[in-house]
Amino acid sequence: MSQPPGDPAHPSGSAEQRPAQPAEPAQPASDPAPDERIIDTDRGKKHGLDKCPRCGSSDIHYRVESRALVCSYCRHAWNEDNAERAFRLDTPIQELSGENVASGAQDVQAGDAMVTIKCQGCGAEVVVKSDETLQARCHWCRQVLSINHQIPNGAVPDAVLPFTLTREQAVEQIQGFVSSRRTFANRAFVREFVPENVKGVYMPCMVVDGNLHTDLRGTGEITTRTYTVQRRVSRDRTVSERYWDASVHELGRSFDILVDDLTAGSSRQYDRTDSSQATNYILDAVQPYDTREALVFNSNYLSGFTSERRDLDIDDLDERVEDKFLSIAREKARPTIAQYDRGVRWEREGIAIRGTRWVTMYVPVWLYSYYHRTAKGSYVHYIAVNGRTGKTMGSVPVSHPRIFALACAGGAVATAASAVVGWGVFLSNGF
Amino acid sequence: MESVLAAQVLLADGGSSEGGLFALALPFVVGPAVFGAIYGGIYRYYRNKDKRFTYERETDIHVGNLQAFDHHAGSKNRQRSATMSGANQDDPLTRVGRMEVR
Repeated sequence: MSQPPGDPAHPSGSAEQRPAQPAEPAQPASDPAPDERIIDTDRGKKHGLDKCPRCGSSDIHYRVESRALVCSYCRHAWNEDNAERAFRLDTPIQELSGENVASGAQDVQAGDAMVTIKCQGCGAEVVVKSDETLQARCHWCRQVLSINHQIPNGAVPDAVLPFTLTREQAVEQIQGFVSSRRTFANRAFVREFVPENVKGVYMPCMVVDGNLHTDLRGTGEITTRTYTVQRRVSRDRTVSERYWDASVHELGRSFDILVDDLTAGSSRQYDRTDSSQATNYILDAVQPYDTREALVFNSNYLSGFTSERRDLDIDDLDERVEDKFLSIAREKARPTIAQYDRGVRWEREGIAIRGTRWVTMYVPVWLYSYYHRTAKGSYVHYIAVNGRTGKTMGSVPVSHPRIFALACAGGAVATAASAVVGWGVFLSNGF
Repeated sequence: MESVLAAQVLLADGGSSEGGLFALALPFVVGPAVFGAIYGGIYRYYRNKDKRFTYERETDIHVGNLQAFDHHAGSKNRQRSATMSGANQDDPLTRVGRMEVR
């Protein structure tokens, strides 16, 4: 989340580093580490009524077709501000130093998820289970009450990326995905497939900027000569053997990297690395998201959708993110080693993290879930559609007997054909 | 397909007795290979376990201030392969030994 640097090829080094400027001094829930800065992203509103700016109604919902919050009474449509600009998350990445954490990305505090909101309309006290929802209707005066500022249970992110793909478009995408995978699909799945059951879900993720310096060491080889040698294998027969001569080089690459908006899922249940209960890897495959377009969080964007609470902290993710930084470094080194036509074996790698910026965000996913019952229990297959781009990926349970039958048929045909060829060769060799 | 190509190479290169025996063994190699390829291909197409977001290519990244060294360390002659052993330049996700960087 930053402006591109003025000269991407020459980002400023550590000597020019300046700390990122937070929008306002923040009130962190706990004391930050010495090199940690908190960027305040709280809207600063009290819990309760969040009114339409034109008529004062609290009945507000997000309308995908309008791509805006819409008042149910006066039809006024508007959006929150762009989060990057509102919270000054677009300061140049090369100026980042230390750990800059948006206030919504601070550690999740274990505790009571019940939030009691006093209705400003009638004075009633309404309890909201913030684990499950961020809004409730007052049971006396029927006004909608919202969680309007950040609470330390991970339910309120810094920013939200609203849906732009409608439910109908998502159903169409899922239908298309499955229609090309029906023949060998599990029969129960085919019978029970109802794409209209797709749900709009906001998934939590950490969006990370990084000001890095990397160092890679390895060995590379360049071909100097290729030649063919005739080797005698019997009295009347020789075979050709090809050889390569190579020069060996020790090599090193060291460079600065500016990473803009690297995403990392921050829900334990949908963790990409754990697919023991469900095909979580699917959610990773529908990225990327246009995170620069994220808006300041407002609970009304969640109206009509479900959301998953963040339950992974920066400490849970930083090793994974560092691994991603290293992978990026290795990938970016590739153009610099083109002369090593026999390859490069990287042997040591390291990264110095000069500065990072962590922001939490809800990203939109249309999710179709299928509970596949097996002898061992149940396993959840997901078909996911990126709620911004429509990129679709999924897992369809297979019918093993059907695949087995086709593979057997193919194997049998190949066996017969190769038997004919093999027998012909055998005879032509004079047996 | 790879086993078919391997078989053809062996048939071309091997001695006449080896080639003849391999020709007879060909169906036992090709049949299971085709079975495995069909099974694996369909399974992968349906389950998509290999799919992921290639963040190392698709994330917005700027690099600069490159410093490089390339020291000649010797020669290797009469190598039987066109690629060096242990080459990992195309596998950025696999970690290697860590070094401290300041």
